[in-house]
Amino acid sequence: MAWLLRGVNLPLSAAAAVLILWSLVSSDSYSLRLLTTAGVFAIAVLGYQFIFGYAGALSLAQGTFFGIGAYTTGIIGSQLGWGFEATFALSLAFPVLLAILVAAPVLRLDSHYFALATLGIGQVVLLIAINWQSVTGGANGIPGVPGISVFAIDVPRGWPLLMFVWGLAILAATIAWLAIRGITGHAFALMRSDPLAAMAVGIDIRRLRFKAFLISALLAGAAGALHVHTNRVISPDALEFHIMVAILAMTVVGGRTHIAGAFVGALLLTHLAEWFRFLEHYYLLAYGILLLLMVVAAPWGLVGTAERLRERLLPERAPPPPQPSPIRLAAKPVSGLEIRGLKKRFGGVRALDGIDLEVQPGEILGVFGPNGCGKTTLINIVTGLEAADEGEIRWAGRPIDGVTTDASARAGITRTFQKTRLLEDLTALDNVAVGRWEGGKGPRVGVARQQAMGLLNELDATDAAMIPARNLPQGVRRRVEIARALAARPSLLLLDEPATGLNEGERQALAETIERIAQQGLTLVVVDHDFAFLSEFAHRMVCLDHGTIVAAGTLEEVQHHPAVKSVFLGGPSSPKGARELND
Amino acid sequence: MLFIQLALNGLALGAAYALVALGFVLILNATRAVNFAQGDLVVTGGFIGAALASQLPVPGFVLLPFVMAAMAGVGLCVSALAYWPIRSRPPVSVFITTIAVGIILQNGLNGVFGPEPRTAPALLPGANFEILGLAISRQSLAIICVAALLIAGQLYLTNHTQVGRAMRATAQDRDMAAALGIPVARMVALTFAAAAALAGVAGLLLANQFFVTPTDGTNFIIKAYIAVVIGGWGRIGGALAGAMLIALFETLVSAWIDYTVATGLLYAAVLTILFVRPSGIFGEVEGRRA
Repeated sequence: MAWLLRGVNLPLSAAAAVLILWSLVSSDSYSLRLLTTAGVFAIAVLGYQFIFGYAGALSLAQGTFFGIGAYTTGIIGSQLGWGFEATFALSLAFPVLLAILVAAPVLRLDSHYFALATLGIGQVVLLIAINWQSVTGGANGIPGVPGISVFAIDVPRGWPLLMFVWGLAILAATIAWLAIRGITGHAFALMRSDPLAAMAVGIDIRRLRFKAFLISALLAGAAGALHVHTNRVISPDALEFHIMVAILAMTVVGGRTHIAGAFVGALLLTHLAEWFRFLEHYYLLAYGILLLLMVVAAPWGLVGTAERLRERLLPERAPPPPQPSPIRLAAKPVSGLEIRGLKKRFGGVRALDGIDLEVQPGEILGVFGPNGCGKTTLINIVTGLEAADEGEIRWAGRPIDGVTTDASARAGITRTFQKTRLLEDLTALDNVAVGRWEGGKGPRVGVARQQAMGLLNELDATDAAMIPARNLPQGVRRRVEIARALAARPSLLLLDEPATGLNEGERQALAETIERIAQQGLTLVVVDHDFAFLSEFAHRMVCLDHGTIVAAGTLEEVQHHPAVKSVFLGGPSSPKGARELND
Repeated sequence: MLFIQLALNGLALGAAYALVALGFVLILNATRAVNFAQGDLVVTGGFIGAALASQLPVPGFVLLPFVMAAMAGVGLCVSALAYWPIRSRPPVSVFITTIAVGIILQNGLNGVFGPEPRTAPALLPGANFEILGLAISRQSLAIICVAALLIAGQLYLTNHTQVGRAMRATAQDRDMAAALGIPVARMVALTFAAAAALAGVAGLLLANQFFVTPTDGTNFIIKAYIAVVIGGWGRIGGALAGAMLIALFETLVSAWIDYTVATGLLYAAVLTILFVRPSGIFGEVEGRRA
């Protein structure tokens, strides 16, 4: 009962009930056929939601995968007379194989290149289908594709086929639900809205996108196979761009990250095409207008819009925060961070000009210096966000240069950012829980949330737990981000200007918190331009200027170092003199 | 001799592709958005030219300003409907709205004019002439000349004028540009109008040489897109070189083997380039950050 009252479950369930009743009452063969088609497209849309919705990559190959599934069943079913069990399996396999084949060049590309490459693949497949006449039947295609017959039981058109298709659609929806529930869904959300932040907590974007691409191909193949069983004819029409457009429009109209949206979009647009039948083939005009309107006015789709409305009009009470549970950080390594001769230049600017640095395990190092001295570049290189031009970096005895950001996060190096990068719609608790993802091998969502709660307690952000990040003040956001970085169980944590934007009291409190979390054996590198803030907790200090270390040592040593004075107070000898001192 | 004849044909086709790519790059450079409807805008220009010609039997160069003006209006509508309301969203949103605009144009044209191929009048009336046994079509020459003029004009505009600087500033950082007093909304509208007018020119020229049907836009946009990717995202000169390269490739390979093989090889080559050199043969204007 409680489930019904949550979110938009009540109106969705009511709509589903009305739909079932209506199809029972008006069960002429025409409307049954329409509903069957809607079920077929719902499966394709469920798949498309993986790559376009969850992974956030605009693939234009979903129609192609659909067409390959259709052609596989069409050709093998009509020419070789194989049964549904074999043809359906192959219709799933071929699109997935093509997806694997093209994923290597395509998946690492940015959105517009990915779109073009997937479009190009579609054009090649369409050309083959039209020109390989002996196999595909050319432009006319192949008629006489048999209906479905599973284990010698025929599934004729009408009610049986409808039930069969919708049964598979519900199965696909269940698979989708299992695949994205809990932390994985949040990991996808973080990856599509902020890839950098996702990598920083160890999310392997390419792998996640690869999986999403394969699932999208799999479900598109299934939909294509069912489509050809419904139509009993296979022609290049199944590979044309309008199928892709239909799937895209259904996904956008229903909601790209809502499983229910796949059904809403498929049902609505399949029927819309019929209502605009008087436009003959130009019903696509209606699709185009609807697509444009939805992207502009309600990009989260109908289901997403309904959720938002419900949130605004009838806000639900936030559930109580979970019981906190402790989380053990990674063990302290035997040897710490070693940096030798690190150099990085951007065009003519030497951001880092030969840095040698050592941080002992369990030590807190404060790095300070004026703006543009290379502090952030140093963190970016250690965390694999940027590649060094020269030099080597080791952590725990192993070289880490050339290691990607997400791999280094999984190896125990995490960071925070100068400008906090949180998922604004998610609660503080879930923002932290994403850090427990651990490449999909992390704990279940319940445990992850309890551990996240434990971390929020530790960072004095207990009250923020159930509040969406967008409503949190800057000081609390910092703490949530540090908690997320800790959730990935690092042994080395790098904080990039954590005190920026905080007032004096918040700074003091944050300094105390940093000192406390370091006591668990964590190695910490904290970068800031505020010497007083760093001196609250740092064991050792390093002063950077113009990409070189001008002073290093204990607080007192650095504080009274002439180079430091000249860097901050200015003077005749800065910065050239500072560099001479270093030499 | 056959080779030279083919190369000339390829050059004319390349000039046409370059004109499509040019409008695409113009919008890309001013807004960082992919305008997937650019190909359909070209076809729309061709149909407007054909429709005008059926009312007024005058040569193409008389129609040209009217087609450009009408298309500039279409461009303003596109920017107002499909770009301006979602300007602060991720670029992929504009990609989708322009896909929608493309569908609307394609099916709108289909509804109004029907699916038959149309032709527009030649820019200059008169027959082809022959030099050294080569048949040179006036229209091919006209396409090459007009394309060269417009490309030179656009290079000059973006690199050497205040308007061009303002456009590039708008692309780099819209808020900063606005803070510096650049009328950002007007710059964006101007860009879309100019890109659509360019599409109109391309459409009028192409409709005479190759005919146009309402569904041709997809082919044009894919070729333009490929030209821009090969030439380096956002480079005008690169897009031009890319357009020539693919047109020559298409013409020569189709002449010797088959059009299907040419197209297949072209896509294979593009995928290889994307794999080996994701920033294009000539590199991008500006590196993307991780």
